[in-house]
Amino acid sequence: MRKPALIRSTVAVAALAAGALALGGCAADAPSGDGSTTETITIGTSLPLTGDFSQGGENTLQGYEVWKAIVNENGGLLGQQVEFNVVDDGSDQNTIVSDYNYLIGEAKVDLVLGSQSSRLNIAASAIAEREGYVYICPSCASPDMFNRGFSMIFFSQQATAAEQGTAFAEWILGLPDDQRPATAAYPALDDPFSAPVAAGVQAILEEAGIETVYSDVYPEDLTNFDTIATAVRDSGAELVVQGAQFQDGVNFVRSLNRVGYAPKILYQSSSPTYGEQYLEGVGAENAEGVFFSASYTAYADTPGNAEFLAKYHELYGDQDPPEDAADGYAAAQVLQAAVEAVGSIDDQQALADWLHSNTVQTILGPISWNADGTPNGVFLIGQWQGGTAQIVFPAEAATTDTVISTWRG
Amino acid sequence: MIAFLQALILGLLIGAVYALMASGLTLIFGVMRVVNLAHGAFAILAAFLTWTLWSALGIDPLLSIPIVVVAMFVIGWLTYQGTVRFVRGSHMSTSVLLTFGIGLLLEGIMGFIWGNRSHTARTGYTDASLQIGDMFLPVAQLISAGIAVIVIVLLWLVLSRTWQGRAIRAASVNDSAAKIVGVNAQKVSAFTFGLGIATLGAGGAMIAVIYPFVPGQHDQWIARLLAIVVLGGLGSLPGAVIGALIVGVGESMATAYIGAAWPVAIPFLVIFIVLLVRPQGIMGTRLREDAVA
Repeated sequence: MRKPALIRSTVAVAALAAGALALGGCAADAPSGDGSTTETITIGTSLPLTGDFSQGGENTLQGYEVWKAIVNENGGLLGQQVEFNVVDDGSDQNTIVSDYNYLIGEAKVDLVLGSQSSRLNIAASAIAEREGYVYICPSCASPDMFNRGFSMIFFSQQATAAEQGTAFAEWILGLPDDQRPATAAYPALDDPFSAPVAAGVQAILEEAGIETVYSDVYPEDLTNFDTIATAVRDSGAELVVQGAQFQDGVNFVRSLNRVGYAPKILYQSSSPTYGEQYLEGVGAENAEGVFFSASYTAYADTPGNAEFLAKYHELYGDQDPPEDAADGYAAAQVLQAAVEAVGSIDDQQALADWLHSNTVQTILGPISWNADGTPNGVFLIGQWQGGTAQIVFPAEAATTDTVISTWRG
Repeated sequence: MIAFLQALILGLLIGAVYALMASGLTLIFGVMRVVNLAHGAFAILAAFLTWTLWSALGIDPLLSIPIVVVAMFVIGWLTYQGTVRFVRGSHMSTSVLLTFGIGLLLEGIMGFIWGNRSHTARTGYTDASLQIGDMFLPVAQLISAGIAVIVIVLLWLVLSRTWQGRAIRAASVNDSAAKIVGVNAQKVSAFTFGLGIATLGAGGAMIAVIYPFVPGQHDQWIARLLAIVVLGGLGSLPGAVIGALIVGVGESMATAYIGAAWPVAIPFLVIFIVLLVRPQGIMGTRLREDAVA
């Protein structure tokens, strides 16, 4: 009696697993098999299309797809059409390692592009380094990415995590004495990117005498922020600097409202860069005056930005592209620049050497790299003003002269 | 003292929502000895259904609970008839594997239909709270806790006052003996699975209001819910309620007095301690291993 049931259950489980794999692979292009052909160049990438980082993963994929569309319309890369081999790592570090082993070792893609989030890119880049592939990551700002002696990794934003809040911290210190906050709270996601952003700002402000009255890290699975918000309220912090990804940032703002506490100044590292998603999550009135670090603004007069915007709107609608989409596009621009300059995809070391010696003009602005792959640049500081994400610092990139001095105006 | 009371109240409010979600899980195990690892995925599915009713038709999420509950009952019943009933009676590892697969499949389906972007039903009371002195009571959690109590009471009434409920309890105690006295085990199991998913549906509707959600978050919920039912005693509804309140308060107190890094660890710490000290849980019963089920 047990055997037929066991057989049926085994078949049922196998069918379910096959169904899950089929649905999970819906976002992936068809794998190229043999990556190198006379007609196409295949670029492999693993992205978090499901799981906790799916928001950013989907946005990054949009950036890659926009770039592919533009490149192919303009004759391709080195005269060959570009294809992507995209796999879903489910926001899991173990899976992404397997993915890049597959992409490079089995699928034998011609080139690779990085994933979304430092947590995933730290794991994946080790595979690319071992295999001698240039690895350009659109979002890998963690210092842990660049302290391993790797020579093939390149971060395609303007600054690493610890420097991304520098311009904001300098603005705080430049405020008149009667406006400068005396106390600050630093809740941060326990994440290789988010925590260093908050820590970088904290270091600058503490040295200048702004007292830290709350500082703690929370795990990525935390959903209920009411107790943290209560602690921040009880600390009386005038400034709150949150190292956040997306959902944690939204939840924290909601909790601040529930506890009835509004710090004078609120900064969040990443959440506000998700555009309409952020406004829907926190409410437009609660976005007003929130500061954030940004690598991109839709209003920038940078090379290729107009073309990027036009194609993005054509493919994905009228809303402004989220930052991760722009970062993905910029990463692909960097790879394109190297390939076109070297004139070949066969010598990965030549691509890396070129990038170490040159500056690439991207929609984020000009980016060059140090020997360890860290970029040389100044990160942008944005602020939500009247339902629009404006850039406020540095002055040369600002899209407005107005800076709202308090959260919620 | 105020801070302690605040943390306690926040823990109890969210614990009530946990209790509602865990009640279905312990009910399913109690009757069928099936550990439903897809329970978290069903909760997220209920959240998506709630969000869809809110965004497309403007129905308030908490008012849509009756609709979502009925829909989730049907989905649960169909899931049982289509998959779980084939492994009923098999070794527990088979049902664990099956329901794990169902959870992954649901995640894929939800991602396919709604996408993997964050969703949330932002209502007028999402961020609202009642101020009582120096304490605040989040309105969304307060209403949700009230609804959770009502639903759990209704569930208890169904189990204790109706023939169907007696049949469910009989099957949970001794399946074979229940058949002898005329209980149709298959029908009872199907109804119970549907009922368990339905009560979970009410909890999922509350999630849609309280938190943003994505399909991939179901694994966070199943870890917490398993801890709750293990703590309370597998198959014990009162135990699930007590376990949920303990976990909710534990998470809140851990954040307040130990650190923000600890609340997620609390459910796993609970499982560890309970299995060492009282393997059957707070209100579970220990069965002789040679007893015929």
